[in-house]
Amino acid sequence: MRTIDDFTRPLEYLSPMDAPLRKVVREWADNEVIPHRRKFDEDYEEHKLIEPAFDKLMGEYGMQRVLFPSDLGGWGMGGSNYFATAAYMLCEEVSRADSGMGVAFAVVHWPLLLICVEPHVNRELCEEFAPIFCSTTKARFAANAMTEPQGGADIENMDIVRGSTIQTTAVLDGDEWVINGHKLWPTNSGGVCDLFGVVCTTRAGSNDPDDFAFIFVPADTPGVTQGPPYQKAGMAADKNGDIWFENVRVPRPYRAHGPGEDLKYFKEMVALGNTMSVAFAGGALLNVYERLYEFVTETTYKGQPLKEHDAVAGVLADIATDIEVIRVVGYQNARMLDRTDLYGPRWGEELVAKSRAYKYYTCDRAMDVTGKAMNLLSNYGADRDWDIEKHWRDLKIVQLWLGGKQLGQAEVARFFFDLETV
Amino acid sequence: MSEHEIFPCMYEWLTDMDVSLAGNLRRWADNEVMARRLELKESYEQLLEPAMRQLFLEIGLQRLLWPEKYGGDGHNSPKAAVTMVAALEQVSRGDTSIALLLSSMWALQSCMAMEGKENHEACEAFAELFGSQDTLAITSLVLPLFRDEPQARAKLAKGAWSVEAKSARPLASGADAAVFGVLCSGAGSDIPGDEVCVIALPAAAKGIKRGKPFLKTGMAADRNAPVSFDKAKAPEGLCVARGLEACRGMLSWLYLGVAASTVGALFAAYEILKEWGDNRVIKGKGQTFKNNPLTSSVMAEVAREISVSRMLTCDLGRVLSEPGIYGPAGEEGNFVLAEMVANTVTLSAEKAIGGAMEMMASAGYATEWNLERYWRDTKTLQVCLGPYELAKMDYARYFYQSEAR
Repeated sequence: MRTIDDFTRPLEYLSPMDAPLRKVVREWADNEVIPHRRKFDEDYEEHKLIEPAFDKLMGEYGMQRVLFPSDLGGWGMGGSNYFATAAYMLCEEVSRADSGMGVAFAVVHWPLLLICVEPHVNRELCEEFAPIFCSTTKARFAANAMTEPQGGADIENMDIVRGSTIQTTAVLDGDEWVINGHKLWPTNSGGVCDLFGVVCTTRAGSNDPDDFAFIFVPADTPGVTQGPPYQKAGMAADKNGDIWFENVRVPRPYRAHGPGEDLKYFKEMVALGNTMSVAFAGGALLNVYERLYEFVTETTYKGQPLKEHDAVAGVLADIATDIEVIRVVGYQNARMLDRTDLYGPRWGEELVAKSRAYKYYTCDRAMDVTGKAMNLLSNYGADRDWDIEKHWRDLKIVQLWLGGKQLGQAEVARFFFDLETV
Repeated sequence: MSEHEIFPCMYEWLTDMDVSLAGNLRRWADNEVMARRLELKESYEQLLEPAMRQLFLEIGLQRLLWPEKYGGDGHNSPKAAVTMVAALEQVSRGDTSIALLLSSMWALQSCMAMEGKENHEACEAFAELFGSQDTLAITSLVLPLFRDEPQARAKLAKGAWSVEAKSARPLASGADAAVFGVLCSGAGSDIPGDEVCVIALPAAAKGIKRGKPFLKTGMAADRNAPVSFDKAKAPEGLCVARGLEACRGMLSWLYLGVAASTVGALFAAYEILKEWGDNRVIKGKGQTFKNNPLTSSVMAEVAREISVSRMLTCDLGRVLSEPGIYGPAGEEGNFVLAEMVANTVTLSAEKAIGGAMEMMASAGYATEWNLERYWRDTKTLQVCLGPYELAKMDYARYFYQSEAR
């Protein structure tokens, strides 16, 4: 009998820790998440079912510590040559159970990427924030506060807008940054965040890269207010809400790196965000495959398993092909981020654009595949009991974030066709 | 400009009553559903059930296509197919799940109460329900999940039908139904494929056991649950369709309802997208979305899908409304056309609403903007039609005399 492990991964460049880590996360997914996930939608505000699973994965198993240097209580993965490949595997495995948990888990590390990963480790900030994540067995959350009410994609569209639309301001007052602004939508907001990475401008309206600032703000800092979580089409495990920063004061060193450098490494975050989106989608698709396999094998039509119907088999082939291709593309992309000696820096134009392309392609295919799988289930396709509809709702959200589809298209076309104005 | 003017349909087929009804239902959708759902979300008790009571009972849609003699309004001729399209477009614009419930009810009524072909025993038996001023005539259809393999089996003995099915999965409303329309095998014909029938079973009939309601993608007005029929009995006259063509006739009307409901959801999606395109500015370009070539091309595709879907649906309504010209609703060509239109329109909706969501990014999947509910609900309408790959076998048989099953 075939399983999800028959979909290809490029074995020669998996992390040495791949097998043991994968085993742990898969068991966690099978025992702590999959039995409960059909009730997650109703748990989107309280997280009574979701929180214990997060505690186990991130607090007890320690997955929230992976990026921090080992002498600070972390696992030191930020200095590993397999950082992106290992992260890809973890995100894929978590998302097989629930891609909302996948993104919430990944985003814990997303702002920390700027300070914990070579070659741009900010040791002072690692020391400052390591206790939040490394000294507890409870899940702790970080969030990237980027999107603002006037537009999300504009913040991420750095090559054209260059930060000129950012309205959250950071003003230096002595040895402190004073931050004012209103952010929307970050993963791990909605009341759960412990540490924000806040995209700010030091000069409103400026398109000078030096004025782009990425500043860390502990969530309990006076002046920070988190709104309740939004209700969405899916992804209940990922809380999103409004955040208001009103005369929030943080020490001057809380700026990640400084003029020019913050923007550079922010682009690295965009690249990683896209690559891990492929992992979220790829992981969810593995579970779509598992559930569909079960359905088309158990359900009979004309006295045979449904999968033995020639026309149905044609659709199953399309679905398997897309999952296979997405997995190979995703791991390849992660490998490119690990081998910066061959493919250039993670913040470079090439890797940012290519990661957009992989995410854009993957999400389009994932929506098509999952929609077709629902259709094969007949009326059961819309029932939560078969889980595929959940992945379909969640995957749409993966497709739409990071600026939506059109920004992805613009960036891909810009890179490959040397566009100058789009 | 209303969608009636901007998305064309064949106006000459609409009666004054159809136009007036559509206007009333548009107001119902605006006032009773859309204006309140930001606050009440998808609450069955607070929003959907009261809105349904207005629609089914006060406006009287459960009586509309029911014979006057049995307490209805008497629009029980094939012409009602066009009326049904006009009504369902507007109802579904407000709430797609309510439109599905109406579609199910009208499909069952079509095969028991059509003018000149009334099944008087069935009309008599259900007159109190469909003519009621205070009981919702929620109708649950139990149809084959996989093309021509019914979930239920019926046996006729001593002047009564006995219906058997274990944990059948109704199209909708298994938990709330006042009447079940069960498509069964076992009608006793010697002609292969013709041994099917539809039995109308009052929910109070002995032997009907409802399971626990289950959670679904959307369709909040449809509280569905598995249903078992343990030798559930119905008088012989409550077989309201017997033979393949009669059963297909009911399905053709249902598919018309699914297509019209999908078009209504597309109208709502258009309104949401239009507001976004008119007002949202791409900062780096200083353009509204509708004035940017990349995003306006997405909006154009959405409009194309809506226009073509509406035209197809209206055409199907016309075909079913004129059996003198096009033949009975259950004739193979008309059934295949209905199946094709419903599949085409629901696939178009998946593409169009999905595209609109992609353009609106996070607003596309936020409940607050309402677009995502139409996306969930129209996908549910699509899966209600069964696997597309199996539907294509019907097309191949009709157009190529294929024997593939």
